[in-house]
Amino acid sequence: MTITEKISLRLQDQSGLRRRTDTIRTWALPILIVLVFVLASAFVPEFFKFETIRSILLLTSITGIVAVGMTAITLSGNLFSLGVTASAVFSGVIYIWVGQGTGNMFIAAAVAIVAAVVIGLIQGFIVGLGLNTVIVTLAAGSIIYGLTAILTKGEVVQAQGVSLEGFGTFQIFGIPLPIYIFVIFTAVAWFLTEHTLIGRNVHLLGSNKNTARSSGISPMGTTIWAFTAFSLSIGIAAVLQASQMHQIQADNLPGLTMDVVAAVLVGGTAVTGGDGSPIKSAIGALFIATITQVMVLMSIPEGQRYFVLGVVVVALVVVLHLLRKAGTR
Amino acid sequence: MNVDAPSRLRATGITKSYGAVNALADVNFELKPGEVMALLGENGAGKSTIVKVISGLIIPDTGQITVDGEPVSLTSVRASQAAGIAVVQQEFSTVGTMSVAENLVLGQSGAPAWWSPKKLNDQAKSILARVGLEDLDPRRSVDTLSVAEMQLLEIARVLAKDAKIIIFDEPTAALSDAEIVRVLAAVKRLAAEGRSVIYVTHRLGEVFEIADRVTIFRNGRSEAPQNVKDLTVDRVVELMIGRELGHLYPERSEKFGAAVLEAKGLKVPGIKGEINLTVRRGEILGLTGQLGSGASEIMKAISGTADVLSGEVLLDGEAVDLRGRRRGIIMGIAYCSPDRKKDGIFAGISVRRNLSSPWLRRVSRVGFVSRAQENSEATRSASNFAIDLSRLNTLVGNLSGGNQQKVAVGKWLGIRPRVLLVEEPTRGVDIGARAEIYAQLRLLCDSGVGVIVASSDTNEILGLSDTVATYYRGTQTANKPVQEWTESDLVREVMHRED
Repeated sequence: MTITEKISLRLQDQSGLRRRTDTIRTWALPILIVLVFVLASAFVPEFFKFETIRSILLLTSITGIVAVGMTAITLSGNLFSLGVTASAVFSGVIYIWVGQGTGNMFIAAAVAIVAAVVIGLIQGFIVGLGLNTVIVTLAAGSIIYGLTAILTKGEVVQAQGVSLEGFGTFQIFGIPLPIYIFVIFTAVAWFLTEHTLIGRNVHLLGSNKNTARSSGISPMGTTIWAFTAFSLSIGIAAVLQASQMHQIQADNLPGLTMDVVAAVLVGGTAVTGGDGSPIKSAIGALFIATITQVMVLMSIPEGQRYFVLGVVVVALVVVLHLLRKAGTR
Repeated sequence: MNVDAPSRLRATGITKSYGAVNALADVNFELKPGEVMALLGENGAGKSTIVKVISGLIIPDTGQITVDGEPVSLTSVRASQAAGIAVVQQEFSTVGTMSVAENLVLGQSGAPAWWSPKKLNDQAKSILARVGLEDLDPRRSVDTLSVAEMQLLEIARVLAKDAKIIIFDEPTAALSDAEIVRVLAAVKRLAAEGRSVIYVTHRLGEVFEIADRVTIFRNGRSEAPQNVKDLTVDRVVELMIGRELGHLYPERSEKFGAAVLEAKGLKVPGIKGEINLTVRRGEILGLTGQLGSGASEIMKAISGTADVLSGEVLLDGEAVDLRGRRRGIIMGIAYCSPDRKKDGIFAGISVRRNLSSPWLRRVSRVGFVSRAQENSEATRSASNFAIDLSRLNTLVGNLSGGNQQKVAVGKWLGIRPRVLLVEEPTRGVDIGARAEIYAQLRLLCDSGVGVIVASSDTNEILGLSDTVATYYRGTQTANKPVQEWTESDLVREVMHRED
């Protein structure tokens, strides 16, 4: 065998390895979810029922919508927003107040979503100036939480005399509206990231900021777009959440931020940016909801549930990271 | 230096290859006690690779190294240090906020956990004196030192380790002439103490000043060492570049049309005086100079990457606004930076999407990318640059250096460039891909695109350009047709002006 033959053979081997690791990375989570479903159906009583599956999907929908939106920020190389909870609760309060005032849930939803987007735009602008996303969004989250607590005086905000629960409870073929919205939102997000200039630029910016700049892509503009997509998802999720609960309070949704971050990470979007997909994050959210629901049915106490979930998330993220490294060596 | 002395260090049959590229092909190297051995060679000739092998950073594929006749296994930096080898880095490894004396003991094995400040400073003073820094207060913070003083301190740190073999990797690259004198004096003093010095440099003048012998590297191979006193500058240049230009470079067109790009009275930070340059249709303009010569700053200014203080740039006779890359791209100015990994490619993105990245806006309607148009244009760019079409979906980071460079240049075809600026077009690129890149640059030039190439590889500049401008420490020193240059003239122009 000549040297060139040997080299080309080795190169083929490596590209084969890459393809294999890519395949594993793409399919690991869906297969794991199927596995959990099969095992839970066999061993957990009450699991394999329409109501259980519906409640898993309902549980997924709110986290999932925000995780899909968050993917835009992560893909753009801007890590995560850590102010999810505060922004979502604030938008939820706006929804109920405007709904109470106007009596029209559509107007209320529109105002709540616009409020979320405005808050997101401001943060996107500051991050676009070059500040660290984690610091900006933590600070913003704290400000928004404080504002919500002051405005509501820390009390429960409740809709009285008007019906605002339509978005949360309306059903088509026995399946609640939030699940449809989640699926449609994910599909649209996927289409936009793959087929629009902005979506593609978000990807490129996250892959290499310097090359993006030298290729004429504006880091500021692209970052603001990513935050816009993210805050749109916050607004939608907030409306769905407030509709379901019909009330909201400043310290609601304490685990949402971390659930969303976990969904994005478990889904397999790279923290470093440039590699990932909103669909992956949606599947990540589904996985977390499934595991949680299984543990609830098995009557595992809350503390232990968090513990197990944490261990599973860390293990998956480590494995995905190692696979990515093996694939791009 | 004792000519008949046994070798201090001997490396025999060293090879190192990366994929298809032989960085070192059967290199032999020898160093005697108390001698200064200069390593010379063009970029990529192998001199920095052999230095990394000796300092334990790279493990060679084959070959043997002995120190004082004993075989040694230099598998790590620590092993290399244990064998008595120390490296004076090009980048400074001193800690700015600590004092000079503290930096000298830092990382020194065998130093006690605590020295009284007096003892520390006295120790430091005696070491500093040996590098010509006797006047320096060892209590001063390293932050306050000049670049030359830091370089000398870097040498002093190596002295504190008491090494037998000291490697200098272009220690004077960032220094002014007066400062260079101090460093060279320190090197001479080390050799006089009986230590052996390996001195890597691009500056021919220094070689004749301090080296006893020279080993010249070319294409990963080493020449037998030669005594400096038997050599002339011309002979050294001949040995360094002694490879045929052959058919690596494409044919020139000889006839030039109207000016495509003119720079008039351009003032740029880091450049002394005003720069005037013209590129005509059918002409490749080559800018050359060593690191820090200013050629790169001019390219960055014209591309809109760096600031322009004054002056103007005309494209087809019309003045253009040079602020920002985005405007430059719209005007049709393509720019490939010298460091493709840093800002030339998206390593984690496919070849196809790398190729389309600068002109995605052009193939979009109301924000939606036309996949069909993107694919057909990306495919055309790829086939023009001899990029394997079956690898359009491969991540660029998984390609060889040569193919990555083809992507970094090829992506600009789609903006329909009027001017293409390329810095170091073939750095870290194998010979086959080089020929393809040169051919494509010439083809673009013939099709009416103004091409400016900046390179520190004089051979490349001579083979590729029609007109050559030279730069030395921020000054444009010459600008004339390639026919009026000989290779040794050009090498001397960019390297040897201190004589």
